[in-house]
Amino acid sequence: MPRWGMAIDLDRCTGCQACVVACKQENNVPFSTPAEAEYGRGISWIKLMTVTEGEYPEVKVRYIPMFCQHCDHPPSVKVCPTGAMFKASPEMGSTVGHVYARCIGCRYCANACPYQIVYFNWNEPSWPEELKLSFNPDKSIRYKGVVEKCEFCDHRQQMAKDRAAAEGRDLRGEGDYVPACVQSCPTQAMVFGDLDDPSTRVYKLAKSPRAYRMQEDLGTEPKVYYLKQGE
Amino acid sequence: MTRTAKIFAGLVLFVVLVLTGIMFAAYGRANAPEQPIKFSHKVHAGDFGIACEYCHSYARRSTVAGVPSVARCMGCHKVTALDKPEVKKLADYWNRKEPIPWVKVFDQPDFVYFSHQPHIAKGIACQSCHGAVEQMEKVREAVVVNMARCVNCHMEKKASIDCWTCHK
Repeated sequence: MPRWGMAIDLDRCTGCQACVVACKQENNVPFSTPAEAEYGRGISWIKLMTVTEGEYPEVKVRYIPMFCQHCDHPPSVKVCPTGAMFKASPEMGSTVGHVYARCIGCRYCANACPYQIVYFNWNEPSWPEELKLSFNPDKSIRYKGVVEKCEFCDHRQQMAKDRAAAEGRDLRGEGDYVPACVQSCPTQAMVFGDLDDPSTRVYKLAKSPRAYRMQEDLGTEPKVYYLKQGE
Repeated sequence: MTRTAKIFAGLVLFVVLVLTGIMFAAYGRANAPEQPIKFSHKVHAGDFGIACEYCHSYARRSTVAGVPSVARCMGCHKVTALDKPEVKKLADYWNRKEPIPWVKVFDQPDFVYFSHQPHIAKGIACQSCHGAVEQMEKVREAVVVNMARCVNCHMEKKASIDCWTCHK
């Protein structure tokens, strides 16, 4: 029974945003117009937070990829009135998921989430004509009036599970599937795997003295670990 | 026929029509769509007893069961039943090198992940979701495959009922 988690080595992150693009393509995330983006209504399941430190000429920029932290005690699930936002069972990886067909668009989850990574579809999703050829058929398209967020590419897990079952084994803690962002990371800053399996890389990284989680004091127990940048 | 009897008959007919209308609206998907060729599952799967997976050969290894290629049909119909008008239509498609535009009968919404392969591997009969197709001249959605049906069976068989198992 895997407990999927991720470790991100911020020393390795160059801020190239390959993960942001990969996620957008993999999950059929809609584009927004500049006017919509001005309202803060653009949707991007991963966004790159930048923190600028120091003053010219001694300036340093830190990059932090920010997406659903897949908490073990997710506040968004507690407030969902319909059960659309749910925490998956241990056999499906204990991630935080969302069933769009059940969502009524109340946005309680978006407000309850301390990481601000739940996005609401304010408009009917639209894509430039050319990009409609690149739709991923393995992921459903969301519609106006529901929220959406990172799901650790669960559709990949479904297929990986079926492949593993056909071979007569359980899903391995590492190597059977990775989300699109991890696959696309050119510096391999992102590591994905089972946090309960001591043989995985993510287990070791999560135990590293450099590891920290976002807003740990809230008690949400996120499953995304960040490895502190060295000076 | 008296006038009262006429009115009564008319009333009965009206009520029957309205009820049928409501039934068809409620079970609209149970309609059998018109197919480009009047292919009979009753003849093939019922009378001749050809296994489902002979034609729908992807079911045991893929998410979709697959509609057989024209070549698969022609495998038999090069030699059998050449005089039948519907088989002639098939031969026309074959000669024109065109696929047959079959109309999909069983369809799941986009947000559902369903794969035939694990279900076939567990030995679930095709008929348990598709109904007795081998007795149908024209395939219709005799069994409504909705979430209740999926979840009931998953609970009976102790399969996973996590949202993530089927929603994507």
